[in-house]
Amino acid sequence: MQYTFAERVTHMDSSAIRELLKVAEQPQIISFAGGLPAAELFPLEEIKESYYQVLSAKDPSVLQYGATEGYLPLRQEIAAQMGMKGIMTEAENILLTNGSQQGLDLLAKLFINPGDVVLLQNPSYLGAIQSFQSYQANFMTIPTNKAGIDENALEVLIKHNQPKIIYLTPTYQNPTGITFTTEERKAVLRIARNYRVPIIEDDPYSELCYDGQAASPIRSFSTDDEVIYLGTFSKTLAPGLRLGWIVGGKNLIAKLVIAKQGSDLHTGTLLQRATHYYLTHFSPTEHIEKIRHAYQCRRDLMLSELKKAFSNKALWTEPTGGMFIWLTLPEEYNTLKLLPKALATNVAYVPGTNFYVNEKSHNSMRLNFSNPSPAQIQQGIKLLAKIL
Amino acid sequence: MKLNLDRSLKTPLYLQIRSQIRQLILTNELPCGYQLPPERKLATLLGVNRTTVVNAYHELVADGLIQSHVGKGSTVNSLQTIQHSLEGSSKTIYSEEQRVPIQPISWQNFYTSQSERMHNPVLASILDEIGSEDQISFALGSPAGEFYPLKELNEISQVIIRPGNWKAFEYASTIGHYPLRQYLETWLNRQGIDTQPQEILITSGSQQGLDLLTKVFIEPGDYVVMEEPSFLGAIGVFKSSGAHILTVPMDEEGLRTDVLEQILSRHRPKFIYSLPTFQNPTGITMSLERRHQLLKLAYQFHIPIVEDDPYSELYYENKSLPSLKSLDMHEHVIYLGTFSKILFPGLRLGWCVAPSPLLEQLSLAKQHIDLHTSTTTQWIMTEFCNQGLLDKHLPLVRGHYKHQRDAMVAALEEFAPEGLSWTIPAGGYYLWCELPREMKATALLTKAAEKKVAFVPGSAFYVNSGGRSWIRLCFSRHSALTIREGISRLCGAITELLNQPHLGRKTQQPRFSEPLV
Repeated sequence: MQYTFAERVTHMDSSAIRELLKVAEQPQIISFAGGLPAAELFPLEEIKESYYQVLSAKDPSVLQYGATEGYLPLRQEIAAQMGMKGIMTEAENILLTNGSQQGLDLLAKLFINPGDVVLLQNPSYLGAIQSFQSYQANFMTIPTNKAGIDENALEVLIKHNQPKIIYLTPTYQNPTGITFTTEERKAVLRIARNYRVPIIEDDPYSELCYDGQAASPIRSFSTDDEVIYLGTFSKTLAPGLRLGWIVGGKNLIAKLVIAKQGSDLHTGTLLQRATHYYLTHFSPTEHIEKIRHAYQCRRDLMLSELKKAFSNKALWTEPTGGMFIWLTLPEEYNTLKLLPKALATNVAYVPGTNFYVNEKSHNSMRLNFSNPSPAQIQQGIKLLAKIL
Repeated sequence: MKLNLDRSLKTPLYLQIRSQIRQLILTNELPCGYQLPPERKLATLLGVNRTTVVNAYHELVADGLIQSHVGKGSTVNSLQTIQHSLEGSSKTIYSEEQRVPIQPISWQNFYTSQSERMHNPVLASILDEIGSEDQISFALGSPAGEFYPLKELNEISQVIIRPGNWKAFEYASTIGHYPLRQYLETWLNRQGIDTQPQEILITSGSQQGLDLLTKVFIEPGDYVVMEEPSFLGAIGVFKSSGAHILTVPMDEEGLRTDVLEQILSRHRPKFIYSLPTFQNPTGITMSLERRHQLLKLAYQFHIPIVEDDPYSELYYENKSLPSLKSLDMHEHVIYLGTFSKILFPGLRLGWCVAPSPLLEQLSLAKQHIDLHTSTTTQWIMTEFCNQGLLDKHLPLVRGHYKHQRDAMVAALEEFAPEGLSWTIPAGGYYLWCELPREMKATALLTKAAEKKVAFVPGSAFYVNSGGRSWIRLCFSRHSALTIREGISRLCGAITELLNQPHLGRKTQQPRFSEPLV
């Protein structure tokens, strides 16, 4: 039958790119396209033991309905870990989500009326753009200059356009790998505070730091609850678990709980129990240290391969953490049009244009270095250079 | 009260209004208890939008200077309160350059119109579920934990989480784990539902199915039709989307299709939501004739049906009637299923069956909502099902739950005061009871809490008002012995309240800390 959908359905972007990149899942293709952690580094032994322990305890509550906020001891553990990042918070300020994508969706549901303005970095994380789009948000982008964020322009922009919310990935951003300096963080916070615009700080990558500690999260500078922080276990543990969290003011969390209850009641109980066991009985920091080391080698390798193959032919970011390098070709190239050719040569990337909300750039691409093996990085960058 | 707004200033009008009223209050020109003009009136006086005044008043409330009551308007606070909140604001943040005091964000000013419509059946109601050990709760609609196959699941999880099986921990497709959809295809085929994996979407519980359908179909102001009373999780989602909910009463054969026909001849709803088998909360099963009539009306008026079917495999007499989906010849039925009631709810796994073009749209919506349902969880459930453990589990719980239902009915027959009546459902989880002499279920709730027994008041299942002297009792969760004790306590509470009708009219209600399902 013919369905009459809601207006917002026309704003749900199916992104042709996803279709294109399905090809990249074929085994012969070296993919720099994904945003995946390296699967061979997942701590499977520890997770296995965690499931074993929680299921052996003869406690049926591990399969029972649970509180919408999430399993209390897990929220307490997360609160403690937040403290190590300089975010002083309590379990009552934390809501567990099905990955941070659900955090974004709940926040969009709560904040975005059709036509509201979301202020974000250009380019930005695709999943966030799509989520805001599906609630019919309009976008404005953070003005930048050579030095980074253009504070004066930002202030004028906020003053005149009164955005509903500011969405930022300030640390090792997806897709560019760029990180805000502490001064930039404080400046954005100051301006947002002055004009009373809440900030959503999406922080999936800060544990993946390769050149010293990541800058403190924006929320750590905030004395009030104007910064809503999104965290996830997707990069530090495994993405297939689908477990993330929101840190916010108690009033906001109470409202989000109501929204989440309508969405899916609560996040899986067994999953939360097993993750809690893992965090409290094994050494997650050691595991993170291990993946840090592996990814750092891969980043260094990709950077040196890029230097060999692309010097004078392209520009690229040199991220101090995260999973991505952002490569910009000369103006005359169109990375979207080049993609089929790259796929035919068995190498994949994500064309940069997908990450822009406006003033799209057609000559950039996102390269992931965490998932491909060192050998694949060497070979893949060479293949990439060949097609250009 | 005289205010002067200067439109040439860069300061927003609402902040001008706020600071001038603030000044008037602090200089005591507006004394404690002073009634501020209604928002609409002040807006007209000043020639501004009403929302401008609303925002200004919001700020003043946040500053602790005034208080607002629905229906009573806004009044100036006592000096003591003001003093207190001014002291509190000494903590106020001063931005580095301007030294202007910055107030905390008043979040409610930022929320969407949708969020204003969200209400919380958990907090707005009832019942302390986990609180005390000796509490017997018939409130939560949950399976009995004692039958959970922990041992089997443990063995399975050890198989799934084996070295090298990284796939079970990676990102996966939004539509769901293919082998699980394959299993469901076969399972649903056996129930007469002709479907294929590309028509099955795995959801994070069937609540998410409802949320997705709402997101894809409902604009504020759209119509939705549902039985009344009905599942409160569905009522909540539809309400928060801003839909107009049109309700259809039921009789012993289920949804009254004659009333539905009248509604459909006047309105064009986005869909008809129905829980035709062992309905929550009434336990009613829609007759076969009604099922055909309902489908005929859906075809005639070209309206999709959302069939919610969590309970049909939990039958205690004859096998359940065929689902609407299995009778549907023209792809009008969208079907929601879940493992929560037949197995256990803590994995949060359900499914939605719909024609593939619609399913693609629902998958896209899900992609934006949470990318996909937990890969690990889906792998574990797939193995559980493929080992035949679901098929083994069902006869076991059917036997137990039938016994528990009978125990509850027997206990009611033994203890019920005159005037209390109840249904005897042929499956599912619930008895639906009418209290004697129009006793209010909410009053009984308090009395029952004293006696350490809990239930859900009927009004929770109504869209507007209704069901005040009805209660829902869930029999699936406790043993026959506990059920007898609980019913004895409940009937004791009813009898006491019958003898002291003045009691418990308005008392503190205990709180509920698990989601009500």
